[in-house]
Amino acid sequence: MTLPGLTAERELRIVRELAAQLDDFYREALARGLGEADAGAYARDQIRDWDRMAQDVWLADRRHARPRFDRLVEPRLEQLTGAIGPAAARRNFGGGLLVLFNALGDVRYAIRQLVRTPGFSAVAILTLALGIGATSAIFSVVNGVLLRPLPYPHPDSLVRVHEILQKFGRFSVAPASFLDWRQQNTVFEHIAAFNSTGATFQTPSGPERVQGTLVSWDMFDLLQVVPTLGRTFRADEDMPGKDAVIVLSHGLWERRFSSDPRILGQSVTLNGAPVTVVGVMPAGFTFGGESEFWRPLALDPAKAGRGGHFLGVIARLKAGVTVERAGAEMKTIAERLALQYPESSANESAEVIGLHANMVEHIRSALLIILAAVGVLILIACANVANLLLVRASIRGKEIAIRTALGAGRLRLILQMLAESVVLALAAGAVGVFIAYLAIRPIQTLGAGSIPRAGSIALDGTVLAFALIVSLVTGILFGLAPAWQASRTTVGSVLKEGGRSSTVSGGRWIRNGLLVAEVAMSVVLLVGAALLLRSFERLIHVDPGFRPEHVLAFRVALPNNAYPQEHHKIAFFASLMERLESLPDVTAAGMIQTVPMRGDYLLSFTIQGRPAVGPNQEPSANYRAISPDYFKAMGIPLLRGRAFTLDDGEKSPMVAIVDQKFVERYFPDQDPIGQGIDIGNGTDGFYKIVGVVGSVRNDSLDSNPSPTMYGPYTKDVFSSMWVVVRAKSEPAQLSAAARQAVRDIDNALPAFAMTPLADVVSDSIAQRRFSMLLIAVFAAVALVLAAVGLYGVVSYSVSQRTQEIGLRMAIGAQRRDVLRLVVGGGMKLAMVGAVVGIGGALALSSVMATMLFELKPLDLVSYAGTALVLLAVAMVACYVPARRAMRVDPIVALRAE
Amino acid sequence: MFSSELKKGSTEMLVLSLIESRPRHGYEIGKLIEARSGGRLTFALPTLYPALLRLENRGWIKGRWMERAGERERCFYRLTPEGRRVLAEKRRTWQAYVNAVNEVMGGSDA
Repeated sequence: MTLPGLTAERELRIVRELAAQLDDFYREALARGLGEADAGAYARDQIRDWDRMAQDVWLADRRHARPRFDRLVEPRLEQLTGAIGPAAARRNFGGGLLVLFNALGDVRYAIRQLVRTPGFSAVAILTLALGIGATSAIFSVVNGVLLRPLPYPHPDSLVRVHEILQKFGRFSVAPASFLDWRQQNTVFEHIAAFNSTGATFQTPSGPERVQGTLVSWDMFDLLQVVPTLGRTFRADEDMPGKDAVIVLSHGLWERRFSSDPRILGQSVTLNGAPVTVVGVMPAGFTFGGESEFWRPLALDPAKAGRGGHFLGVIARLKAGVTVERAGAEMKTIAERLALQYPESSANESAEVIGLHANMVEHIRSALLIILAAVGVLILIACANVANLLLVRASIRGKEIAIRTALGAGRLRLILQMLAESVVLALAAGAVGVFIAYLAIRPIQTLGAGSIPRAGSIALDGTVLAFALIVSLVTGILFGLAPAWQASRTTVGSVLKEGGRSSTVSGGRWIRNGLLVAEVAMSVVLLVGAALLLRSFERLIHVDPGFRPEHVLAFRVALPNNAYPQEHHKIAFFASLMERLESLPDVTAAGMIQTVPMRGDYLLSFTIQGRPAVGPNQEPSANYRAISPDYFKAMGIPLLRGRAFTLDDGEKSPMVAIVDQKFVERYFPDQDPIGQGIDIGNGTDGFYKIVGVVGSVRNDSLDSNPSPTMYGPYTKDVFSSMWVVVRAKSEPAQLSAAARQAVRDIDNALPAFAMTPLADVVSDSIAQRRFSMLLIAVFAAVALVLAAVGLYGVVSYSVSQRTQEIGLRMAIGAQRRDVLRLVVGGGMKLAMVGAVVGIGGALALSSVMATMLFELKPLDLVSYAGTALVLLAVAMVACYVPARRAMRVDPIVALRAE
Repeated sequence: MFSSELKKGSTEMLVLSLIESRPRHGYEIGKLIEARSGGRLTFALPTLYPALLRLENRGWIKGRWMERAGERERCFYRLTPEGRRVLAEKRRTWQAYVNAVNEVMGGSDA
């Protein structure tokens, strides 16, 4: 009925009252003994001319005309759309324009419907907003990390080139290989190498350590990025001795040089030596992780080796060259070089991979699994809201019946209901985007250490468009069932069911089906979360091989010009150890060139007295240069023999310590003590093994310990060392004293990268923690949604069955029986859902395999635990409405019939 | 039975008087008019309902959704104080009118 100009409340009331009165006529007819069809016809017959009726009502009720503003806008709309009116619906305009106008009318009507039922709308919108918010937040990660192109022009032609080593697979590149590649390739416009570095800047507030990258001179040309200020490097600066130039990042320029444009051409002190600033890069430019400056790599062709692999290599493809073609050529070149230099490069090859693909390949599957999880979450939210809408549709059955009587066609009703769910979903989408906005910061923080490109995670247009599409799709998805059901409602069917607001029995099947699906999807998510949680729980209890608690770690780097000779460096480090150990709170202090879980350092070796093997065939193992008290500071147990002492100095005999894994692998039936190993092959001769220590997980907590050799740092002096200090109390409390100890020896040196060692360990599993936390949160939300859904369905069924329950109680059923009836009904659905869900989880379990640590995807505890938790929650969700059912007063319930 | 013009003038009065003693809902009002008049007066929904709205808008009656024990929700109309005054006034006028008409028509016989 068209009641143009009346307020929404008024229109609702009138429709409602007419429905009530028609219902009375219908019941009267039934009471007189008419059949249902006849009774329906009789009821409908009460109002023959709806247009006239509408006009009379409008005339009588003008006082409730809507405010002026509304009336100015809407009659136009109304005229054009004739939206909800039976007359207009019957007037056969046809044409797409009418559909559009109808849709506008539907949307307007839908908004009014939602405003009328604020409680329902709030629950539905919040439920969906959780789903849409979570999806948008995760999509922003996927978008930032996987989808958004790299921030360089023509990013698709940027590639990464690796060497392939027989023993280690994909690997960094040896300088000589890179120089040969540059000369011999025909597929790249540019090919450039880089290596990370660090530098100490002197400032009035003390020395500051800054990350930088050494790059081939044409790196910036390759990336096609021009500096904001000045220039980048020239070819002639990419040579040893001519490389005293530096390009600054925008951030460093702002922070350290107050954005002073006169910095160009000036000399700054870097690692104690002067370098000239030639350029400043634009804001937002990044290359080489956290790099704040770039300097020429300055490879010396005369000294470039093939044994040490430490360069990263990127290249830009020539126009028309594919990654595959470039890969084929590089493979050919590398294999030719391998034949040419069998001593150093036997069996080596090369591989070309898209730069972006290379960055994200290790995170891709985890992110896609998380995205899938969040997709399941949104489906659960949809099922929930669909159920809410179904219940509401049946409550609104009379309204719909009237509209049907008024001549609204089935398609019309479906569209109208869909408009409501889409409007609902769009509102939820808006709230969801806000939730995503709130979630994005924690996700960035959580992801910073574990996922590449975390900085490019943002709520941008793509994410908003995604949220919009998700909202529309979910709106249609969860609106379909109620719309379809509502469209089947007829005046007769509604009136037939008397005063109770109910609907065709098909509704129950849809609701139950949706609930089972919802429970099943929750189970899938919960099983996934349980597997990840259990796997993570195992992971954090993995013994790293050292005791990271109470240990403070930091780095010290000695500039070569201030500490030119090895004995200068040794003197500094020895003095530092002495000072640290004399601190009152310190039990032990040690040093190592690469602390476990922060990078590897592999060297090949040969064992004295064993038959020689071919070039490039020698075994290799982790190599660590350490100070005497390193094991004590780290809590690594000495199993046999002795640790290094201060006597193992520069001039004393060469000694080594190996770990248990090394013994197991290379001296399975032999006493390793007293054996000789040539660490690094042919550099210093044989080291005599004097001790065996416990094995350490060098790569990460989820990697296996690998054989490791230790040598005294005095025999192999590194200019940059990690210091580990074991404290009696909290390691963080030591940091000031540790910094002071470094400064006391050399005022120009910063202690940097200071962190509790425990954080180093937990950082090594940050990506797993990221995935686990996200999926656990989603699973928890899913569980809550499933519980809410179950509660809703059971409560509704209780309200529907009040009379039945009353009757049962009247004929002697006890409260206990009622409880069993209601809870049993709900639990049956939950069980079916749980079984289906467990089945689904089993089917999907293989997907999880890569994310699990020492846990089979078919872990019984996870499955059984999930089922138990879910059934317990379901029990509570059913019990609450069941209590209400138990309190049904049989007299009241029966009288209602 | 009676012409619609005749009925039109009395609808409001009938409705007001029927809810004088207690609130009633729309269907009930229609049925009561029919019953009390012995089926001689019937007001169809399209006539009765706009009348109810009109009365309510004038502030003479007030509709309220109520649920009676064992029944489903209906809108019950009751008289407002203003409505009570109007009803008394209408009664007086009607009575006076009927008397006048009777006298005129009866007088022709005398």
